[in-house]
Amino acid sequence: MLEGLQTWILNYAKESRFMASLETDKIQIEEYLDIAERLEWLSKNKPRTFHDALQMVWIFHVAVLNEDAISGLSPGRLGQILYPFWKKDMDKGILTTEKTIELLECMRMKFTELDCFASMGVVGGVLSGNTFNNLCVGGLNKNGDSAANELEMLILESAMSCDTPQPTLSLLYDEKLPEEFLLKGIECTKIGTGYPAWINNRVAMEFLLNNYQKEGLQLEEVRAWSIGGCLETSPGSWMPLDVDGETWFIPGGSAPATSVGVHFISLPKVLEAVLFDGLDKRTGIRVYPVHGSKLDSYEEIWNVFKKYFSLTVEVLTLTNNIQHDIWGKISPSIINSMLKPDCLETGKDISNKGCRYNRTFNVEVCGGVNLANSLASIKKNVFDEKKLTLQELKAAIEANFGYVSALETGSYSLIEQVKTKNYTDWLKIHKLCLDAPKYGNDDKYVDTIFRDWQNWFSKMCENYRSLYDEPLYSCQISVSTHAPMGAVTLATSDGRLCGTTFADGSVSAYPGTDTNGPYALFNSATCYNHSLSQNSQLNMKIHPSVVRGREGSRKFLEMIKAYLRRGSFHVQFNIVDSRMLKDAQKNPENYRGLMVRVAGFTQYWVELGKQFRMK
Amino acid sequence: MKHYDCKYYLNTDVFKGKCKRDKNSINADDTACDHFEKAQKCKYCSNFTLTGEELGTCMNKYDAYPEMNAVTCNDFKAI
Repeated sequence: MLEGLQTWILNYAKESRFMASLETDKIQIEEYLDIAERLEWLSKNKPRTFHDALQMVWIFHVAVLNEDAISGLSPGRLGQILYPFWKKDMDKGILTTEKTIELLECMRMKFTELDCFASMGVVGGVLSGNTFNNLCVGGLNKNGDSAANELEMLILESAMSCDTPQPTLSLLYDEKLPEEFLLKGIECTKIGTGYPAWINNRVAMEFLLNNYQKEGLQLEEVRAWSIGGCLETSPGSWMPLDVDGETWFIPGGSAPATSVGVHFISLPKVLEAVLFDGLDKRTGIRVYPVHGSKLDSYEEIWNVFKKYFSLTVEVLTLTNNIQHDIWGKISPSIINSMLKPDCLETGKDISNKGCRYNRTFNVEVCGGVNLANSLASIKKNVFDEKKLTLQELKAAIEANFGYVSALETGSYSLIEQVKTKNYTDWLKIHKLCLDAPKYGNDDKYVDTIFRDWQNWFSKMCENYRSLYDEPLYSCQISVSTHAPMGAVTLATSDGRLCGTTFADGSVSAYPGTDTNGPYALFNSATCYNHSLSQNSQLNMKIHPSVVRGREGSRKFLEMIKAYLRRGSFHVQFNIVDSRMLKDAQKNPENYRGLMVRVAGFTQYWVELGKQFRMK
Repeated sequence: MKHYDCKYYLNTDVFKGKCKRDKNSINADDTACDHFEKAQKCKYCSNFTLTGEELGTCMNKYDAYPEMNAVTCNDFKAI
């Protein structure tokens, strides 16, 4: 394998020399020959410089991607990994800030060129064509001090001067990080790229210690964690790096991929199945066994929901274990294994538990907020206040509250739904559903339901075991699934219409329903302990005028801190003007470079599916 | 002959690419210029045998296809 890698690297060196032979421009010839020399050196030797080290990172990134059809391969805390080389070069005077930024911008271009070759359902439906190369900045070092450094400041700078979707950035927020660094992160967030996402370092550490302590993870090592994919908290280790006789400890991943397991159960769809006795009303297919319950109390509905959800997890756990067993036997990830502690030491690859930490299978869900809102509507309207019967509600759901399905009209915008001629028949019921308590307003009625779901969900995952014979844990990222899953779900009891997209992320309010301001949303979002789950995901939209100038930056940072200090895990922002987005819908050719933040990733707006653009 | 058959063609996507010689953007299936040189592909190799539509074998041992890039192949023998 190593010899093959060397030959592969040398093939590129050969191509670079060939390109040099075609050139007439002296600077370009020099650059091609420089590339060739670097590749020839790295095929057999350690990096000598920052540029060498950056090239080495890219070589192995592509090598691992060539091995498996994967997305979400994240470079991790690259600024801390490369810092020893960068610092030495800067001290020696062989590198400048300007050259560093140029190289980082080139790096951004290379990461953005990547694509994932998988099925249409995966690449389009789940990933929206994104490859989720998440580069993390900040966090703590091995000793528990701030890990932020000058190179990370330049990484943030290059993300502003070369604003491409990849690599996306995550800032691992900790109280120990310097204010100057945090304000740089704010500056980058404000330009509207959607990154960095702001992640709570301590919540992540708590989650990891809770789940990996059995495998030996301790406080010092947990500080080496990073994000895999869009938002998967992943354990890391401090590995020694010798540069010019000085030993540094750099953070690197030490577990298999951490977004494997049970993928994306649509919670509103499970609730729909509860209401319709296990049937998928859209297709007429029986998905679940008949539950036979009369559903004559809220508690009974909740109990059947838990039963159906558990059955779903059971089936999908088996499916995914079989899938990964076959994958590991037929196409083991050798290069990836070589790069992860402790595969070389144990002589086992990733699929044979060679890594240091192996409890990495999760259960992913989407539509949690719509679930909570729907349960709140049922509880209040049907059982507490008895304003309608469950039968009446089900009839209204099947009639889509008197609207034409979004799938028929092709319009997914909430304000452009088309009424049928007898929509007034359903107006009263629809209003009752729309007026029911909604998550995101610091309303204990619905937030209690949300909290109960969260606590139960995180606990029940531990009843299922992965291929590695480790319990599963909960993961709450929607990626792009909230659109296609919304598309196949009938109207819901919270008043949402058939075919329309769910609330994104896991703690984002459903559009238009959080009416008490951001701090009320923060209170709702933190009604449960975020460290119970691998992540939580909050996507907020802010008008540019609100964060204008230095004062705007300070207020913005204080708002983020307020949310993270309440024990939340993550928040990300779209700094956009809705008028611009409406114009972009009509004239997309004028907005080729516009990027927006979806759930956990930044994507060119014109490359997103219609449901996202209209949302 | 088309650009996509040329040694100097660098594809950007399935539709277009660049010429390595003059750096111009070109369409993959436009007619090549006078500087055309055959790319190192299996269909231009004497070890390749076509066995079906868009499929063949290399040295009667390995699966291959006509458009397969053979630029790194040590056994390539230009026809």
